[in-house]
Amino acid sequence: MKMTKIYEGSHQWIMFGRDEGKPGNIVDTNQYVVRTANRCLLLDPGGAELFAPMMAAVLHHAPVDQITDLFASHQDPDVISSLGLWDQALTNAKLHAPAIWEGFLRHYSCESIEYVPIPDNGGTIKLESVELQIIPAHYLHSSGNFHVYDPQAKILMSGDVGAAIEGPDSPVFVDNFAAHVEKMRYWHQRWMPSNQAKRVWIERVRNLDIDILAPQHGRMFKGDDVKRFLDWFDALQVGIAV
Amino acid sequence: MTNQTKSQFIAVASITSELSAVMVVAKEISLAAANAKAIAFRAGDKAKGFQPITDFINELAKETIELVTNINIYALVLYRLTVDEFQKTAAYNKFELAAKMAEGAVYAKSMQEPVDHARLSMQDCQRQFKRDVSQLLGQLEAVMHHARAARVIAANSRIEASQAGEYLQSLQAVAESVDKAAHTIHDNVQRCRIALSIYRNS
Repeated sequence: MKMTKIYEGSHQWIMFGRDEGKPGNIVDTNQYVVRTANRCLLLDPGGAELFAPMMAAVLHHAPVDQITDLFASHQDPDVISSLGLWDQALTNAKLHAPAIWEGFLRHYSCESIEYVPIPDNGGTIKLESVELQIIPAHYLHSSGNFHVYDPQAKILMSGDVGAAIEGPDSPVFVDNFAAHVEKMRYWHQRWMPSNQAKRVWIERVRNLDIDILAPQHGRMFKGDDVKRFLDWFDALQVGIAV
Repeated sequence: MTNQTKSQFIAVASITSELSAVMVVAKEISLAAANAKAIAFRAGDKAKGFQPITDFINELAKETIELVTNINIYALVLYRLTVDEFQKTAAYNKFELAAKMAEGAVYAKSMQEPVDHARLSMQDCQRQFKRDVSQLLGQLEAVMHHARAARVIAANSRIEASQAGEYLQSLQAVAESVDKAAHTIHDNVQRCRIALSIYRNS
C-alpha cells in the first residue's frame, strides 16, 4: 500500500492507495487519513479485501486505540464493506455516514462502533482542534452522498467525483490534465446520474478554497487542475445510460 | 470459507430441512389418530382395545410437534452462532494478517490487543457451538424416543385391529400409517444426529 502525505500542518492528511497486493478483479481505491495529535479519522476506509493492508498501513501513523473516527461518503462496498472488521478491531470509534444509509450500512455489522448519521444538509466532524466540513454531494453518484472539506488544509475529499480507474503504478497526482480527461469521461458520464445535482455541487464547491481535490479512485488534482476539473465537469453531460 | 465452515453451515441448515419433514409426518400421525378415534367409535365394542391407543397416538403426535418446534427455534440459534463464528474467525485471520503486514510499523504492537480479543471471541464461539450442539443432540434423542414409542404403539394397534371384525382393514391402515410415520421420523432425526455428532463437545 502506497502512502503519500498530502498535508502537514497542525494535523496531517495521508493518502493510501495503489495497493499492489489487491486482487486484480476489484476496483482500486484511495483511502485518506486525517491525523491529529491523539485522534485519527479514516475517510472511505475501503472494502473488506483491503482491511489488512489498510490497517497495517495506518499503523505507521497511529496506534489502533487512536483510530477514533470513520467516514463513509456513501454505501458502496468499495467504500465501506470493511466496516464489520473495523467494528471488531476498534473499541471506541464512531462512523460518520449518511443518515439515509444507516439501516443498509448496518448489514456490514456495526455493533461496537457508534453510527453518527449525517443529515441531508451535511455537518461537521471535529477532531480535537480540527473542524472538517461535511459537504452534501447527493446523487454524485449515490442518493445519499457526502464529501469532506478541510478549510485549514484546503483539501476536498470528493468521493467518486474526479475519479478515474487506473493501474497500480499510476502517479498519485494528475500531471497532464488534458491527457487525464479521457480516463475520467466515461466514469462521470455513466456513474453520475443527474446534471442538476452536478450543477448544484459545482456551485457549492466553487465557493471553497481548494488546493487539493482528492477522489476515491485514481489521481488527485492540485492547484490549477482543481479549477480545470470543475470547468470540465460543468460542461459534461452525465446520466448517459437512459 | 474453509471446508469445515461450509460443512458446519450445511449441517445446521440440514437440521431445519429434516425437521420440517418430521413436522409434516407428526401432523399426519395426529390426523391418523383422529381418524382412528372415529373408526373405533363406530366399531364400538369390537374396537374397545383400540380406543385408548388412539389417545396415545394423538398425545405422541402433539408432543413430537412441540419438541420439533422447540428444536427448530434452537436450530435457528445454532445457525446464528455459526454465522457469528464465521465472522469472528474471518476477523481473527484478517487481524493476524494485518499484524504480520504491519511488522516494522511504529505502532505495530498496538494490533496485538485486537488480535488477542478476536482469538478469544472466536474460541468462545467455537465452545458455545459445541455446547449447543450437545444440547440439541439431547433434544433430538427425545424425538427418537417418541419415534420408538410410536412403533410400539403401531405394533399394539395391529394386534387390537385384528379383533375388530369388519373394521380390521381400516384400523390396520391406521397402524400402518403410524408405523410408517415413526420410521420416517426415526430416519430423518438420525440423519440430523449424524450430521451434528462430529461437532459434539468432547
